[in-house]
Amino acid sequence: MQVYKAFFRIIQKNRSQIAIYLVVFMVLALLLTNAYTPPQDTDFTKTRFNIAFINEDGDSELVDGLKTYLGENANLVDLPDDPQQLQDALFFRQVVYILRVPKGFTAAMLNGQEVQLEKTIVPDSPSNIYMDLLINKYLNSAQTYFAYLPGLSQDQLVDYLKVDLAEETAVTVISGSSHSANAEKSGYYFNYISYSLFAILILGVCSVMLVFNDTDLKRRNLCSPIRSATMNFQMILGNLSFAVLTWLVLISASFVMYGSYMFTTNGLLLLLNSFIFTLAALSISYLIGNLVKSRGAMSAVANVFALGTSFLSGVFVPQELLGANVLTIASFTPTYWYVKANNEIANAVSFNAGNLQSIFTSMVLVLAFGVAVLGVTLVLIKQRRVEA
Amino acid sequence: MFLFNYRYRLKCILRDRQLMFWTLLFPILLATLFNLALSNITTAEEFIKVPVAVVENDQLDANPAFTTALEGTDELFAVQYTTRAEAEALLNDNQISGYIVFEPDLNLVVNQSGLNQTIIRGFLDDFLQSSATIVTVITENPTALDNGIVAGVSSRSEYLTEVSASQSNPDPIVNYFYTLIAMTCLYGGFLGLKEVVAIQADLSDVGARINLAPTNKLTVFMSSMLAATTIQLAELLILLAFIIGVLGISFGNQLGYIALTCVIGSLTGVTFGAFIASVIKKGEGFLTGILIASTMTMCFLAGMMYADMKYIVTTKIPILAYLNPANLITDSFYALYYYTSHTQFFTDILLLCGFIIVFSAITYFVLRRQKYASL
Repeated sequence: MQVYKAFFRIIQKNRSQIAIYLVVFMVLALLLTNAYTPPQDTDFTKTRFNIAFINEDGDSELVDGLKTYLGENANLVDLPDDPQQLQDALFFRQVVYILRVPKGFTAAMLNGQEVQLEKTIVPDSPSNIYMDLLINKYLNSAQTYFAYLPGLSQDQLVDYLKVDLAEETAVTVISGSSHSANAEKSGYYFNYISYSLFAILILGVCSVMLVFNDTDLKRRNLCSPIRSATMNFQMILGNLSFAVLTWLVLISASFVMYGSYMFTTNGLLLLLNSFIFTLAALSISYLIGNLVKSRGAMSAVANVFALGTSFLSGVFVPQELLGANVLTIASFTPTYWYVKANNEIANAVSFNAGNLQSIFTSMVLVLAFGVAVLGVTLVLIKQRRVEA
Repeated sequence: MFLFNYRYRLKCILRDRQLMFWTLLFPILLATLFNLALSNITTAEEFIKVPVAVVENDQLDANPAFTTALEGTDELFAVQYTTRAEAEALLNDNQISGYIVFEPDLNLVVNQSGLNQTIIRGFLDDFLQSSATIVTVITENPTALDNGIVAGVSSRSEYLTEVSASQSNPDPIVNYFYTLIAMTCLYGGFLGLKEVVAIQADLSDVGARINLAPTNKLTVFMSSMLAATTIQLAELLILLAFIIGVLGISFGNQLGYIALTCVIGSLTGVTFGAFIASVIKKGEGFLTGILIASTMTMCFLAGMMYADMKYIVTTKIPILAYLNPANLITDSFYALYYYTSHTQFFTDILLLCGFIIVFSAITYFVLRRQKYASL
């Protein structure tokens, strides 16, 4: 098994370069899958926007009442009244709505004059519409009271409003979905795997192929007393075990993070899907390994390929946010089908013929990519040997 | 000598295909990918009318006020009137966000909690609460009914005026491109690094030859660095032209200041690379590794992978934001795009100049008067 051993000795020599992508993946997976909390719930929960409330008017019951009311329906974020800090917060969506109560607002309201609050918003956003609805409702109701019950004190007004605004519509949530929080997160985790898997396999396989395809070394190997079939067999075995090893390392953290979820149908399908993808990625890496001529080109290709396919196929940005053109291009890469199947598995609450068929179609396509690319590579190798 | 060396260094750099890939093509490629992946994110944030169904039954007919109120919200909802069975089917297919039914009280049926559902509910609550207000007022003051309170409630006043925070849209996508430019600037470090390696006798054969030449080392080094900066600046301008011209990302319209940022950014990158190469005495491969790792860390903190990171660092650990060249370059573009005043911009530029001076000074003190007993 000299060839097999040599394979892993070369991988060993390149371990630091490969380790970078492992670390990148672990950090990505930990950070982003933990940061994401799906808003699903069995009870109805209101979406609460982060808003900033700045009061330039004096303390009055009316303004306080408005603030309390908004506090019940949105998250009030405490921000200093500094233009640049407010701008920053809006830009990075720490708040999506900044409400400014101008000086003399309460007095004007009490006197029935026209007054306006100032809002700074994210243009065309739902947050803008919803917050407008809430604020206008509060102030219109207040205005109604002022108009029809003259002499009403602010105290009484706020009490009345509180009672009125406690009225709530009954909401029925019909969903049989027992969507576990793990489902969404594990979907992300397995999507991210494709990036690191590609990078690691390309780097690993290429570094080995660069050595074995070196003309002098190849000539030396060909005159060694090992049958070429044995040598090829050991190379194939080396490639496969390297791929499986990489796959095992990359999926290992999923068992720690999602525990028993990985043994449900969803979890097992995710594992199967990623394994099939590993085979396709290996096949592509093998082709690249036979095309690349230098180590410099190797890291360039690995980066371009891993990043490019990931961006196009919806690994970093969900597929539904990508344009139709992008997805059409992406559908010529196995990553697209892999991610598609992942999302379908993660979203599935129960499995029926319909969604299983779609999932397995994607898997078969990924596998077909692998086989097709392998075929091309073998032809290429054959042709080179004839030429040489 | 100065021009001679300058010309040859330009050629050396331009013919280094790998270097040109990482400093020019790779950023362009990343910019394209960013654009492909992110262009729809802001669109996804935009409000689309909430699709909603209303179940037609006797109770609905008994509440004409509700139908009137709903008609007044055509910019909020895309309403369709259906039977209950149809509404349920639509909901199951996710064709609508929810349906409204009187049975006999107002009821909202949804299949998940979410933004659209919250907006529908906000509207329904509004309807109920306005009715409650009318009831309270009439109980307290029965004459209100004659004074047209019901009509008064339905004609609502608008209490909000929009004040924009700046001349530009608060579009977080642009920050990704600004950090990308920061990354490209710092990747200029590859050029600086190459120049230092090429002049150090213990790091390269070319360096050994140059040290033998009867020329002032500072003159040679200055012309080398100038060559590196020239290429870097040219690459940066190509990238900028690509991002603005082809991808259509906005940088504001203060072209002079943008050019200044590019020059300062290029210098920061090139001197940064020279600084690393002169301080760390290791092979070129190791130096490249350090350069990539530090650039990526700095860009991460400036928000290249996750835009909010820039905000988190700036608010929680401001000192780290000011000590991070990648963030300073990003912030310069951000300030030009978004802020109305130039205070922040000039603070960033001055700090970057400080970095350039520190990097150059250290490089100078390490490189000068080096003697090699043996090579």
